[in-house]
Amino acid sequence: MSNIQQFQYDNKIVRAFGIASFVFGVVGMLVGLIIALQLIYPSLNLGPWMTFGRLRPLHTNAVIFAFVGNGIFMGVYYSLQRLLKARMWSDTLSWIHFWGWQIIIACAAVSLPMGLTTSGEYAELIWPLDILIALIWVIFGVNMFGTIIKRRENHLYVAIWFYIATWVTVAVLHIVRSFELPVTFTQSYPLFSGVQEALVQWWYGHNAVAFFLTTPYLGMMYYFLPKAANRPVYSYKLSIIHFWALIFIYIWAGPHHLLYSSLPDWVQSLGTVFSIMLIAPSWGGMLNGLLTLRGAWDRVRQDPVLKFMVVAVTAYGMATFEGPMLSIKSVNAISHFTDWTIAHVHVGALGWNGFLTFGALYWLWPRMYRTQLYSTNLANIHFWLGTLGIIVYAVPLYWAGWTQALMWKEFTPEGTLAWGNFLDTVTQIMPMYAMRAIGGTMFFTGILLGVYNLVKTAQQGTFLANEDAEAPARERRVAPVAGEYWHRWIEGRPMQMLLWSTILIAIGGIVQIVPMVFIESQVPKISTVQPYTPLELTGRDIYVREGCVGCHSQMIRPFRDETERYGEYSKSGEYIYDRPFLWGSKRTGPDLMREGGKYPDSWHYNHMIDPTSMSPGSIMPAYPHLVEQPLDLSDLPAKITALRKLGTPYPRDFEKYAVSNAEEQARKVAKNLAGQGVKDEGVEKTEMVAIIAYLQRLGTDIKAQPTANQ
Amino acid sequence: MKSKKYLLVILLLADTFTGWSQASQVATTASPVDAAQQLPDIMTMILAIAGASLFVVAMIYIIKVNQFLYKRVVSLEAQKSGVTLQAETAEAASNTFWTKIRKKYWEDAVPIEREGEITLDHGYDGIRELDNRLPPWWVNMFILTIIWAVGYMYYYHWGGDGPSSEEEYKTEVEEAKKEIAAAVSGKAAAIDETNVTALTDATSLGEGELIYKNVCAACHGQQGEGTVGPNFTDEYWIHGGGIKNIFKTIKYGVPEKGMISWQAQLKPADMQKVGSYILTLKGTNPPNPKAPQGTIWKEDAQQDSATPQETEAPGSK
Repeated sequence: MSNIQQFQYDNKIVRAFGIASFVFGVVGMLVGLIIALQLIYPSLNLGPWMTFGRLRPLHTNAVIFAFVGNGIFMGVYYSLQRLLKARMWSDTLSWIHFWGWQIIIACAAVSLPMGLTTSGEYAELIWPLDILIALIWVIFGVNMFGTIIKRRENHLYVAIWFYIATWVTVAVLHIVRSFELPVTFTQSYPLFSGVQEALVQWWYGHNAVAFFLTTPYLGMMYYFLPKAANRPVYSYKLSIIHFWALIFIYIWAGPHHLLYSSLPDWVQSLGTVFSIMLIAPSWGGMLNGLLTLRGAWDRVRQDPVLKFMVVAVTAYGMATFEGPMLSIKSVNAISHFTDWTIAHVHVGALGWNGFLTFGALYWLWPRMYRTQLYSTNLANIHFWLGTLGIIVYAVPLYWAGWTQALMWKEFTPEGTLAWGNFLDTVTQIMPMYAMRAIGGTMFFTGILLGVYNLVKTAQQGTFLANEDAEAPARERRVAPVAGEYWHRWIEGRPMQMLLWSTILIAIGGIVQIVPMVFIESQVPKISTVQPYTPLELTGRDIYVREGCVGCHSQMIRPFRDETERYGEYSKSGEYIYDRPFLWGSKRTGPDLMREGGKYPDSWHYNHMIDPTSMSPGSIMPAYPHLVEQPLDLSDLPAKITALRKLGTPYPRDFEKYAVSNAEEQARKVAKNLAGQGVKDEGVEKTEMVAIIAYLQRLGTDIKAQPTANQ
Repeated sequence: MKSKKYLLVILLLADTFTGWSQASQVATTASPVDAAQQLPDIMTMILAIAGASLFVVAMIYIIKVNQFLYKRVVSLEAQKSGVTLQAETAEAASNTFWTKIRKKYWEDAVPIEREGEITLDHGYDGIRELDNRLPPWWVNMFILTIIWAVGYMYYYHWGGDGPSSEEEYKTEVEEAKKEIAAAVSGKAAAIDETNVTALTDATSLGEGELIYKNVCAACHGQQGEGTVGPNFTDEYWIHGGGIKNIFKTIKYGVPEKGMISWQAQLKPADMQKVGSYILTLKGTNPPNPKAPQGTIWKEDAQQDSATPQETEAPGSK
């Protein structure tokens, strides 16, 4: 080896991402704790900024993109350099990536509480931020591929396959999900509507879980676990098979979020079967992780890093088995819309992502600071608080989900709902909500101990910003060595790897989405379904702004209990003008699909100002600001024009009359309110009339004429 | 042979899941008739699989016995003719039938002591990789899920007669109708606005009061004095007094005026109780009463309800 080259690894960028991950972990989980408490003490909803509907997306975004996102970059920047024997391609790009990502997070932390949202789950950020995310993601990719190209290793290790697949898939998902037409600087309408948008959303949302929370973390596991355990990876062949199978199959599973919805049955079934087929590829990662620890189990007892990793991999295995089970339609009929889903995702997020991040941090910090971990005891306490916290969090919520689902479905022998009042089913699970908050607090306390421990570790050590390394220059080897495994070929060719990953992840999405968008018969039209009036549209945008979709679904599934409770089950043709779609995925409150006409205007008026006045014991936040904030109709013409461009059949020049049309309807609502005894002068100039108009329209179109035009 | 066995497994699974989906409609709609109809199918298949497995095990046993006897004969022959047979290696000795089966279908990891033999010659930042076989049980599980997936798609879409979501719904509603008919038949007619009577016993009124405080008080006041909704303590009624009218108003509501329909949330008996309780509020003179609305209602005028009442309340619209 004559051609030894000297270079340095960049540790500074790794530390920056690590600190960001931990800081945003604390923030994101604190917000989670707040919204958990808001469910128990509704008075903690400090409107309008700090209501559950606005904070929930802040919590999910903070945990996914800020905590886990920065965790990914920490892991990638550390392992990529060492696995390729090269410093990151460009320090400048590294830091643009770092600060760009933090700016996005800061913008999200402001825009989401302001109610600026597109309402697609995990894709809530407004269009200018979508563009910024795409830019930063491309910069990350350029930096990563730059490093790969100037590597000193001939072949790419399995961790890097996962990083490559992550990068390309997240790029594709993010861009397609962000097809939207801007109306103002802060608002846009999505290209797809109704059932099509729902499909694209869950193709995106499910694969955000797959390619943001799973594949990059599998890559990190493949680096940090064998490193920490000092053991060889159990099976190279298993890595190969489970990698390709995982990325190919995962992308198909999105429709399992839409079982029994108005998505056509064939797409739902594809979601189910691909979820089941996903068990083995997912477990391949778990097996390769756990079996790598063969011969190191004695050390697992002593080393907190390994403990965190073992629980992380186990949680991954549990969550990836539970997920497919929840994708079976008859199980989903019970679990969906309940807290079961919440418990499921937290086993994944707290267990898999949280614990692997903590394990990696505890391993990295002493190494980068050239010292020992400040306190192994504290790390152990963190481990146990976290583990017990997850259990105390998840078990009550599983219980709550079951309980509530069974109550929803229970009938009396005479054929009426046993729990006709939805609120009774919520009151029943309040103790479980309280226990969940305790579990969350335990986990949160653990992470605070972690912060303290790492700060102390940093203080007692000296940071090594640039770590010296040396390796021979890469000999470009084209011909395969005899007897070499066939897969070595592609491991030496990053661009082919990128290409094949892209092809594989594209197939599932194309097969599901393209027919739904281009074959009209997939969404049977209903002749009586009309576009929203300007005032209803304004009210709808307020509904989106307040994040009502976080607790209220608009999707009545074809079950007897749901049609009995909410009315006729939902048809895909009813949603064709819904931009964005608002099906929701959790019912903390009742479904609102057919809310129109169920209650008088005055009921909604009083209920919005103080929900408990109309349903005592309600845990819904109060929205008195709806009568304080003036009705802003200035964007209406632009909204109408934008929607018409997207295909909503508003008449020609309608945007010119939109405002007067809205004002007229507002006066009507105000007159209704006055007639029903609401004394509120000038209510027609507040947002209240718009939200009432929207709620009263919901689901009423098919009642206009019972014959649906197939 | 193998593919037939898989087919049986799929059929069994498919059947289990359809059974499951019906069972999942929880408690109320679970139909014993259906379960009874499905039972023979499942039993037949279980028996078929059990029988097939037993046959396979028996065949294997016969072959094993054969092999054992053959070896025994060979070694006896060898002893007779004075030839020494090569001693079996330790590995071959451990290579029993069950070990082979385990290695083939279940688990085939190279022991840690010997992993040097399968360590691949590449390493990344010190990370080595072993060339262990794919865990056979994992491969088999993967294959089974794929077969299950194909079976599922066949059953529901490509030719089987699996019900669509809509068909499942129709079946569920049909069954519920039958059950309700069975449950209701033979019992006294349900209480409705034509036959409801005012209750006077303390227990019923107590229960009525509880319901009132829980659902009515929000709009009509804790003591019936009226807030958003009208006052119950005066003699004036907007939609008619008396238990039959009150029952009707509770049941169907007056949506245009702000009174919602309660029939989805309250049982007829509960509406009767709360209606009866409301009747007792008349003349209680609570503090802060809302001005009277509607017209004076007199019980004796009930028969003559076609005649409009003369006395308009001061606060009515």
